[in-house]
Amino acid sequence: MNVPSTFFGWVSFLLDRYGQLFLQGTGITLLVALTGTILGFVIGLLVAIVRTVPLPKGPWYRKLPLKLVHFLLNVYIEVFRGTPMIVQSMVIYYGSMMIGLIKRGTPVLPAAILIVSINTGAYMAEIIRGGIISVDKGQKEAATAIGMTHWQAMVHVVLPQAVRNIMPSIGNEFVVNIKDSSVLNVISLNELYFTGKSAAGNYGRYFEAFFVIACIYLVLTFSVTRLLRLLERKMDGKKNYTIYGSQSDSHSSITVNEEEA
Amino acid sequence: MEKILEIQHLEKHFGDHVVLKDISFSVEKGDVICIIGSSGSGKSTLLRCINFLEEPTGGEILYHGKNAETACKRTIYNSKVGMVFQSFNLFGNHTVLENCMLGQMQVLKASRADAEKRALTYLQRVGMDAYRAARPAQLSGGQKQRVAIARALCMEPEVLLFDEPTSALDPEMVGEVLNVMQDLASAGMTMLIVTHEMSFARDVASRVLFMDGGVIVEDAPPQQLFSQPKQPRTQEFLKRVLARQL
Repeated sequence: MNVPSTFFGWVSFLLDRYGQLFLQGTGITLLVALTGTILGFVIGLLVAIVRTVPLPKGPWYRKLPLKLVHFLLNVYIEVFRGTPMIVQSMVIYYGSMMIGLIKRGTPVLPAAILIVSINTGAYMAEIIRGGIISVDKGQKEAATAIGMTHWQAMVHVVLPQAVRNIMPSIGNEFVVNIKDSSVLNVISLNELYFTGKSAAGNYGRYFEAFFVIACIYLVLTFSVTRLLRLLERKMDGKKNYTIYGSQSDSHSSITVNEEEA
Repeated sequence: MEKILEIQHLEKHFGDHVVLKDISFSVEKGDVICIIGSSGSGKSTLLRCINFLEEPTGGEILYHGKNAETACKRTIYNSKVGMVFQSFNLFGNHTVLENCMLGQMQVLKASRADAEKRALTYLQRVGMDAYRAARPAQLSGGQKQRVAIARALCMEPEVLLFDEPTSALDPEMVGEVLNVMQDLASAGMTMLIVTHEMSFARDVASRVLFMDGGVIVEDAPPQQLFSQPKQPRTQEFLKRVLARQL
């Protein structure tokens, strides 16, 4: 076999042999990070909404059910923020194997997505709570004052603004998930880091293999942050608006552009 | 006249701190009631208790003779007793037009077309229809407050509560908001207004309530309250305030 002798020689050798595998690993990493972030966002949203529901009036036993739910949600957040994801993967994966939920040899991908989602959900719940607090509570009061319910006010007024305000943090979570899904190699998920490890181990070329892997991670995270920036711009809406009609002509209109003004 | 609201022995305390003590008065159709008094006298809390933004701790509010808490759903009651806030509280994620449509569609279940039509009618009434496509952040304080009034009117309320509607405005914008309120008053809108604008209270109100220390000290027509206040506390307050304002 013709063994390369230079750094770039090894890089192109590994890319040639393992390019396909790396690409596959990249796909898995993106899939786990993206679905994990989205599901985590949904979990966080639900948790945050439930945690902002005001306690009902009346005697203690009417408050008890909601208080209990609040308590359990706090436990969830504390446990999943307070332990490393690598440990959570082991506990959840081998735990569910022990109680017979999954068998040895079943695909690990669903388990991996579940782990990342639950973990992200715990962080998202706090991020979204912060977002809700960031929206002036007068708007919630105004919604209540025209007769909207807690749920309507949340969905149509508070959450859209809360989510806009926390977009940078959601981006953070996504980037963290792209990188930290690498810990799922402990349950043998064939994500990007795992493929790098296989490639490196076969030839003992750790530096070259992980140099390639590092570059791929960087490209992923960089493109994701750019895309999220674009999304934020889109959420901000148009910077210009139209004023309709004037005193002399009710059909005239002027467009005011704030960026020029 | 038909009584829309009757406030009976209303009490509110936050912990040990008593803010409202035994407040009783009624609001008849077409009344324009101005509530005056120094800061901390409980004026805003009273208003906020009337539409349950604050839960009263005692007493009762009757809506058309029936207990407001049990007679109808809270959301329906709130849509009938509108509120305009000191800090406008427009929905920042919606345009001016959408601000006026949201409540109609969500609470009154109006169709989009009907909601838009009614929204434009009331925006026109407050002179803000030209700005229907703007977002709240793009408007001046006076414009925001006029939109907030239109938003409240869109629910076709029976009573409108105003919580210091001009206190957060630059002096030059106070006039445009007071003009809108004056127009509403002459059109027969029932209004309950917490204000520091004494000349507005004198000229527009049908009744003026003077509050101090969580109680209504004096309840009289404006001519009487401003020219011959009966209570010493009212006299003292007016002496301090009118020296600056009128």
